[in-house]
Amino acid sequence: MTTLNSWPKLTGREEFRFLSELVFTRSAGDHTVVSLRDQHGGTTRFANNQVVQNVDSRCGTLTVTVSFGCKHGTASTTDFTAGSVQETLVRAERLARLSPEDPEYLPPPDPQQHLTLPTVREESRAAGPARRLEYAGEAIGQCRVENLSAAGIVGSSVGAIGVAASTGLFAHEERTEARFSVTVQDGEATGWASATHRSIDHLKVQERTLAAIAKAKRGEEIRDLPPGMYPVILEPAAAAGLWTWMLWSLDAKAYDKGTSPFSGRLGQRIVDARLSLDNVSAHEDLLGVGFTPDGLATGPSRWIDRGVLQQLSYDRYTANAHRIRSLPTLDAPCVSAEGAAAQSVPELIKNTKRALLITNFWYIRPVNAFDLTLTGMTRDGTFLVEEGQIVSAVKNLRFHESPLRAFNQVEACTRPLEAVTSETGKMLVPAMVLNAFHFSSATRF
Amino acid sequence: MPDPDWDEVAELALKRVTASGAEYGDIRILRSTSQTIDGEDRRIAVVRETEDVGFGVRVLYRGAWGFAASSVLSLEEAPRVADLAVDIAKGSASLASDRVRLAGEPVHRDRVVTACRVDPFAVPIEQKTTLLLETMERLHSRAGIVRSHAGLWSRRDRKLFVSTEGTHLDFDLLAGEGEYSATAVADGRFGTRSFHTPPLRQGYELIADADFLSEALRVAEQAVEKVCAPAVDPGRYDLVLDPEHLSLTMHESCGHPSELDRALGYEANYAGTSFLTPEKQGSFRYGSPHVSLVADNTEADTLAATGYDDDGVACQRWDIVRDGLFVGYCTNREVAPKIGEARSRGSNRADGWGSIPIVRIANIGLEPGMATLDQLIGDVERGIYIEGHGSYSIDQRRYNFQFGGDAFWLIEHGRRTHMLRDVIYHGITPEFWGRCDGVADRAHRRRYGFITCGKGQPGQSGWMTHAASPARFRQIDVIRGQSPG
Repeated sequence: MTTLNSWPKLTGREEFRFLSELVFTRSAGDHTVVSLRDQHGGTTRFANNQVVQNVDSRCGTLTVTVSFGCKHGTASTTDFTAGSVQETLVRAERLARLSPEDPEYLPPPDPQQHLTLPTVREESRAAGPARRLEYAGEAIGQCRVENLSAAGIVGSSVGAIGVAASTGLFAHEERTEARFSVTVQDGEATGWASATHRSIDHLKVQERTLAAIAKAKRGEEIRDLPPGMYPVILEPAAAAGLWTWMLWSLDAKAYDKGTSPFSGRLGQRIVDARLSLDNVSAHEDLLGVGFTPDGLATGPSRWIDRGVLQQLSYDRYTANAHRIRSLPTLDAPCVSAEGAAAQSVPELIKNTKRALLITNFWYIRPVNAFDLTLTGMTRDGTFLVEEGQIVSAVKNLRFHESPLRAFNQVEACTRPLEAVTSETGKMLVPAMVLNAFHFSSATRF
Repeated sequence: MPDPDWDEVAELALKRVTASGAEYGDIRILRSTSQTIDGEDRRIAVVRETEDVGFGVRVLYRGAWGFAASSVLSLEEAPRVADLAVDIAKGSASLASDRVRLAGEPVHRDRVVTACRVDPFAVPIEQKTTLLLETMERLHSRAGIVRSHAGLWSRRDRKLFVSTEGTHLDFDLLAGEGEYSATAVADGRFGTRSFHTPPLRQGYELIADADFLSEALRVAEQAVEKVCAPAVDPGRYDLVLDPEHLSLTMHESCGHPSELDRALGYEANYAGTSFLTPEKQGSFRYGSPHVSLVADNTEADTLAATGYDDDGVACQRWDIVRDGLFVGYCTNREVAPKIGEARSRGSNRADGWGSIPIVRIANIGLEPGMATLDQLIGDVERGIYIEGHGSYSIDQRRYNFQFGGDAFWLIEHGRRTHMLRDVIYHGITPEFWGRCDGVADRAHRRRYGFITCGKGQPGQSGWMTHAASPARFRQIDVIRGQSPG
């Protein structure tokens, strides 16, 4: 098969420096920012035990933002030839001149000290269609042996990301990412597992496919339970679904305007006193990056300290208004639980008298931004646990609950485990036993 | 910079595909120009134009697909990308058991151009930013409004589709939309009210005809009224749903389950499957006899009315639900033969040159009935009138759904009285549509739609329009949108 080497190579550090200098030299603006996103990757998608999509795509985008005083405009192109870059600059200048003054405009950041992180894994960079197909074949093969049906994806990509500004700011980083996800169908029952990692070697396709198979097989006997309040064991993916909406709601400007569920609660306990949230950009199992899209340096920071809200997510203008010089980032979130006794989900199950075990949530959406009430469905493995054992599968239920209430009902936790879903980014989060979790309706399967 | 001749690029790529022994291949070359102007809290935060150019080659080799794409549009890159697509298809074929057989389609040679009165890219930027700033000023003129957002978006797609079967289609398509919202704070709570033009394939006349600015004060006043309104008492209510609200209800509970690829398991790992499985076609009671849902990709101005889809299949009109009975699917050339249909419905679309086309929801709309809106409301003892979009969620087979809305009014004794807040209703799709007992007439028909419909892995955004007249649903479960306890 054709290898990656036959493709035009990604935009390297010096090439990006050359391109950005070219723009700065010709720009008439008071300030100019050039951003690069050059991505090459592919996805092999399978369903009904065969490949249904197999794609490979290369896309480079160069974005130029020009400002005249507080007026700014942005233009982008996928054509990296000198003429096109020049044309893009001219468009950005034209838009900036025509724009009204923006009272919140700030000049680009000064040069920053960026962390050098292990964002590239050579095995992922080298992986192409053949490797992806091999992994897809492995998942399909395991399901065929069990007379089950597999659907899922194997994906890998490598990207070059850069930000440069006429202030001297310069950042360039290559990042790899590999993804695997599988849904196993056993008649009406389904089981699911998923992984995302910088290294394609860490996808653990066989292990995760077997886990999904085991869940699907456990779903053969299924029980109807009425909606209501239940103790739950949230596997890491399910917990991550709820945490993600908390993370997305930490905007400082909304906090200041009184339109945040956290307004007035900075410095107060918002979740169980054993829980903390940190950013750990350098963690090798997370997808931390060296810099933000603005070119600001990332780094370690604590957001929730033993249940107390310590940090908000600032745009540069709001941070400036608060005289905050170093903006915390949430590129690599990790939730941890003090004194977590359990190592794994099976251990949590073993110590549970009665609860619903939730593999994952689906279609989580906000119901009420004021108290952060969310809704969503259980998916691909919902089970009743009694006396330390899974006793049956349960038809899927719709939850109607706020994580701000639910995460104050913590009974037990594991250590932080890897979690990623189709609706959330990668994070480390403990599996959790919650004493009470509200389900508002049930579905038919 | 001037592109190489697109026909030459297409010819080079497809020659390689044909020489490989593949049974089918096509190429889409696309230049998308987008303009986004966004404002928040009385300032213009974003003025941006993007040029996105590239091409994708799709190959069917021994019944299996391969696809490769590149933003490097050149005569050198075309054969290389075509060869890669062939290689990938050969790999897929090694794991194929049920080989793809494409439904037949006549060869088309055509050019499709969006009719437009005012080119949105020719409208001065200052005119647009002034409109947004004035809109936000008007929103903030109402006491209690603490935040605002206003935006305009336009896109032009110049596209060439060429297939090894001889189809050659040239497109010059436009789309646009405008929106704004106001957030009010009162009594320690906050809430938002929104205004949207429908996203449509029109020029800037879409904004000019929408009373964009003149609606702002009403929106602001209703944002304040909404946040101060009493919370709903949970229980069973008759619901009267406006066309904008229904566009989302139809989209989630009818549109997605009628995608045949979902029903066949293609989306089992992500977007999900469908309760409308093929054996139900023609016999399953989806709703009451008042419910007829029609897919129409031929209606002018609508998002899916592009003349041809990304299979090169001509756009069509067909029934999804007729008089309450489920009768038809959205299909492409790959899946149509799997249920014995000789021709695709032409619902195969990609969201860009770098994406492979997949089955997407058509322009599905609710057929008008005979009533007026006043008659629908007049026959309600205790109910709720719902406008616009709010919270939404549905299970992966599209049975259990839960919706909120943008604004709610209590109906008592046949009259719309005062606003409510925190209204959430839920149900099971065929039971809900089975409770529809009236649809307003064609004079009340409005078109809304989506440009952000997520599906596929990697994820793609689908575009479609959903038209409806207001409709009434009896005795629906309503809960309060607040955390328990």
